[in-house]
Amino acid sequence: MSFQEIKGTLPAGSYYFSGNEAVAEGAIAAGCRYYAGYPITPSSEIMERIAVRFKEVGGVFMQMEDELASICSVIGAVWAGAKAMTATSGPGFSLMQEAIGYAAITETPLVVVDIQRAGPGTGQATRVGSGDYMQAKWGSHGDYQVIALSPWSVQEMYEHSIEAFNLAEQYRVPVFVMGEEAVAHLRERLEVQATVRVFNRVKKHGTPPFGTDSMDGVPPMPAFGEGERLLVTGSTHDEFGIRKTDDPRAHARLVERINNKILANRGKIANTESWYLDGAEVVVVAYGFTARSALFAVELLRKTGKRAGLLRLKTIWPFPEEAIRDVGRSARKVLVPEMNRGQILGEVMKYARCEVSGLNQTNGEIIHPQRIVREVEAVL
Amino acid sequence: MQEIRQVRLCGYGGQGVVLAGTILGYAAIKDGKWVAGSSSYGAQARGGYARADVIISDRTIVFPHVIEADILISMSQPAYDAYSGEVSPKGIIFYDSGMISPKKLECVEQVGVAATSYAVKEILQKQSANMIILGACLRVAEVVTKSSFAASIHENVPERFREANLKAFELGWSLGEHLKGVQEV
Repeated sequence: MSFQEIKGTLPAGSYYFSGNEAVAEGAIAAGCRYYAGYPITPSSEIMERIAVRFKEVGGVFMQMEDELASICSVIGAVWAGAKAMTATSGPGFSLMQEAIGYAAITETPLVVVDIQRAGPGTGQATRVGSGDYMQAKWGSHGDYQVIALSPWSVQEMYEHSIEAFNLAEQYRVPVFVMGEEAVAHLRERLEVQATVRVFNRVKKHGTPPFGTDSMDGVPPMPAFGEGERLLVTGSTHDEFGIRKTDDPRAHARLVERINNKILANRGKIANTESWYLDGAEVVVVAYGFTARSALFAVELLRKTGKRAGLLRLKTIWPFPEEAIRDVGRSARKVLVPEMNRGQILGEVMKYARCEVSGLNQTNGEIIHPQRIVREVEAVL
Repeated sequence: MQEIRQVRLCGYGGQGVVLAGTILGYAAIKDGKWVAGSSSYGAQARGGYARADVIISDRTIVFPHVIEADILISMSQPAYDAYSGEVSPKGIIFYDSGMISPKKLECVEQVGVAATSYAVKEILQKQSANMIILGACLRVAEVVTKSSFAASIHENVPERFREANLKAFELGWSLGEHLKGVQEV
């Protein structure tokens, strides 16, 4: 594995950053040196900071004509050898879905930051929502996998941005940092370390860039101009990138591998965090900003002797099935509060063998801890 | 000092409420505290509403929004009317006494500071009222250290406004000295 500890791009210390500023700094620390984007509330501060900071660290910043061009340009930059990203919000994320499918089948490691706002459509641009999780998973056609992270703090906006690049480079897959307006515009103390642990894509001269011996392997990835014979196509291809558009075995082999390389490593990729699960009768399963409301609520409940706990999902895709199964075995009831109409509720129901219910809010506001307290008290 | 303090600043858009919140939050970081700051404002550049919430704590902060303000700094009547009811018992309100007629409130101390008129008369810049009222508040309520706040002004305010902001803060701080035991200056 080629993880390396490198010098950070910010002096170590405490900062008072917004979530969006932290995303920009995390990406730069991870080695991102190409950004193409189109501004959209509530994500624009990411590109604003990147534009300024790339001048200092030597990156290439492009404001494109729209989101379709933005992500296609990022794919091109990655194949030229760069670590590259774009950031957007729901409406722009919708426009990027076709190219995300292309990135999945061409195994292009890239990072998209989606700062979620209240949708659908242009919805409420300045208001919060968490309605893009199913789109993140199923937005493009066909069977493919992505990795989607759900930060709950400014610290995690920074750390998840680094992790997103590391995962993308390791697995050659699109990785999404699924921020929300409430975390993107929150200012908090951010602790920056002197060094950063980064993964750079594996290169191996003369090996096929689109195939491995195993059915869940990640092939080495050359860049154009490095002397390899390199063909990149969004059509079905063999391990050398040669189009195979009527070979059933070639298609099955490719589709199975780009799915299995993620699913077989689910245990390593999918992260959760447990709070007060010991003896918890009711477990709240939450992610993103809502997990902070949930933790506050659980701590209030515990103070009054109520047996509540929290399972926080730091990774949404691949879905942390095992952690949900465990909670379903130990808890009497699971509650899933979400700033959408129950996108993750359905996933939790698939794996938790106990009573599961949702607490849904679609008014463009965060879920207040007291709402969660009341809901838990009603069943305890 | 208490372990966790919830501070809310509010007023019209254009009064520098959001910037004041950022300067306060950054000063608390310099003091080694944990801080969470959020703000909300209307679509207009001036004249709408503006609110900045800053939570300052000795520990990491779980829920980053103000639930009940320990300190409310209000710079307009509509903001005062909207938020003076959400102050915690034993909380304290600082209001711009030239802009606001305060209500009678149980269990809440209220301190009037004629910040805007001082800003116009002494600093010759209306926009520095935010630093005057915050200076008075910090002297009385001891939320962050004086040196951290001054350093935060240095780092967060563009050079051409820096001098006026520092002067306004100093003025507010000295007004705060006189506020010990007095209700209005």
